Amino acid sequence: MVQLEACNRKLGPSVTFHCESFSVEPGEHVALWGPSGCGKSTMLNLISGLLRADSGKIVVDGIEIQDLKEGDLDRFRGERLGFIFQTFNLLAPFTALQNVMLGMRFSDTIPGRDWKSRATELLERVGLKHRLHSKPATMSVGEQQRIAIARALANKPKLIVADEPTGSLDPNNSEGVMNLLIEICQESKVTMLLVTHERSIAERLPRLFDCTSLIQEDLT
Amino acid sequence: MSLWFIAWSYLWNRKFTTFLTIFSVALAVGLISAVLTLRDETRKRFEEEAQAFDIVVGAKGSPLQMVLSSVYFMDQPTGNIDIAIYHDILEDPDDYIEAAYPINMGDSYRGFRIIGTLPELFNHTWTSRFDQEPRHPFIIDDGRFFNEDFEAVLGSLVAQQTGLKVGDKFISTHGFFEIPTELQEHDHSDMPYTVVGIMEASNSPFDRAIYSSLESVWLAHSHEHDHDHELEHEHHDHDHDHDHNHHDHDYDHDHDHDHELQNQNDDVYANPESEITAILVQLQSPGYRWQYKQYILENTIAMAAVPIEEINKLYNQFLSPVQTVLLAVGYLVVAISALSILIGLYLSILQRKRDLAIMRALGASSYEIFGAVLIEALWVTLLGIAGGWFIGNACTYVLSFYLAREYGLVITSFGLNQGELTAFATVAFMGMLAGILPAYQAYDCDVARDLSSLQ
Repeated sequence: MVQLEACNRKLGPSVTFHCESFSVEPGEHVALWGPSGCGKSTMLNLISGLLRADSGKIVVDGIEIQDLKEGDLDRFRGERLGFIFQTFNLLAPFTALQNVMLGMRFSDTIPGRDWKSRATELLERVGLKHRLHSKPATMSVGEQQRIAIARALANKPKLIVADEPTGSLDPNNSEGVMNLLIEICQESKVTMLLVTHERSIAERLPRLFDCTSLIQEDLT
Repeated sequence: MSLWFIAWSYLWNRKFTTFLTIFSVALAVGLISAVLTLRDETRKRFEEEAQAFDIVVGAKGSPLQMVLSSVYFMDQPTGNIDIAIYHDILEDPDDYIEAAYPINMGDSYRGFRIIGTLPELFNHTWTSRFDQEPRHPFIIDDGRFFNEDFEAVLGSLVAQQTGLKVGDKFISTHGFFEIPTELQEHDHSDMPYTVVGIMEASNSPFDRAIYSSLESVWLAHSHEHDHDHELEHEHHDHDHDHDHNHHDHDYDHDHDHDHELQNQNDDVYANPESEITAILVQLQSPGYRWQYKQYILENTIAMAAVPIEEINKLYNQFLSPVQTVLLAVGYLVVAISALSILIGLYLSILQRKRDLAIMRALGASSYEIFGAVLIEALWVTLLGIAGGWFIGNACTYVLSFYLAREYGLVITSFGLNQGELTAFATVAFMGMLAGILPAYQAYDCDVARDLSSLQ
């Protein structure tokens, strides 16, 4: 599903991200673990096409994304990836239902007539049937992250990329969100890459990739 | 969930700022809309009425003043001319004339002019060059036209404003302005007019005049003249025999008044020195206007003016520059509003970098982001235009009452003219232009940086 080979990205005058080799099988759930600043989020951004590699090869779902044009990359993200962020990143002007529908708005995966029913179904699945028309600002952080999970699944993605999804949650909510995320990804048989700096969270996934040596600093 | 909806949701999310921006656009557009509507509508109405007569003949002076006073009943007349000129015109050896109507002005009632004329005026019709429809402003709604002296027919606005009905009597005031009774120099209380008819609304200046016979106006004035003379005489004799003179005057007035009027009536029309204010002339063809104007100038001591020419001069030489200045102010406010759209959107984009990055992460293309922001500018501009059109037309609507009351010009508001369409397109273009910079800023966002910097 995901393959990185000799992938480089310059992050500063003397700082370079380098990943010699990394791969993920379809349906696999992998935690990218390491301390803050170790390059795990950079790796996630490179895989999701939010950053371009300076050299090397990145293949996601059979597509070499470093060669994609900007528009194709947008379409690639919309159709094949689902994003979950630390700060939920819901759009304030929209309700829970609209936020999930927005996930479908920018790709052609789900026909427009099905957006509402699919968004409702997903929100019901994450336990927010009663908050369909609530705006994010009126909801708890746990509820907001559950909306984000529903939105990430909206387009039936091949790969879920979750960047510190529990980073803004208290332990109770963190536990609940992780349980839900794992459960839903297993149900949907979707591949998941989860970035976390918490060892306990990382160890909940079947595979842990240690990111501590991804950043190379040239001190000369 | 269209880009229009997404753009609108962001605008709605900052309602107050959005409202203020829309309001500033609306004020500018309202000013432009009102100026354009007023310009076009008043000009149309002026030109429409200017077609009623091909030529106006009157005393030498300002041609515009003569046209305004005789056709629109607005300004003071330039003076009087002898009725002999009217008789000469009627001879018409070159067969220029279709119809000619003498009018006489001097008195008024509650600010509405009393027009002395011939009953033939009420048959006057013409064809509008705007819609090619015949115009017939003198149609009786209630009562009849005048047959006798001191019978009056009221324009619809006069009846509406004064509350006079058929059968009512009223006393005229000397001059064209409403003057309190105690300040009036001439008392016409012994020569009241009787309302015999009220005309249908014609939406023209004719609605705000009172019509009576030529003789009525002459008699009121000759009486006034005699009355002044008698008063003067009485004043001289006052020291000698006050009671006697006063009694004689009352006696004459009470017993011989009707007879005296009839005699005077017969005389004045035939008397070549009797004065009239102007002659309204309809020619056999509008093509004769220039020739006939020259004919009058060369063969009489009077002046002739073509109403439509004078109105065009009024608009082109005086009103157009004023309107241009007002329009320039309007467009300046539009430019300021466009700047406020630009600033508002620019700041909003700065605050929404995260949202834009999220949309990009969700698969939105940079063009869709550009479009969404541009649509926000378009929403503000379009709503501003709609609001401005409403404000402008509401102002025009309110002003139309004043114009109808003061000038008898009934203008149409809540329409859309060519000038407004052009102005609205210009404003929409300026609004879009104002949206381009913020839209480009959104288009050019660095998704990874904006997402990571805000995590």
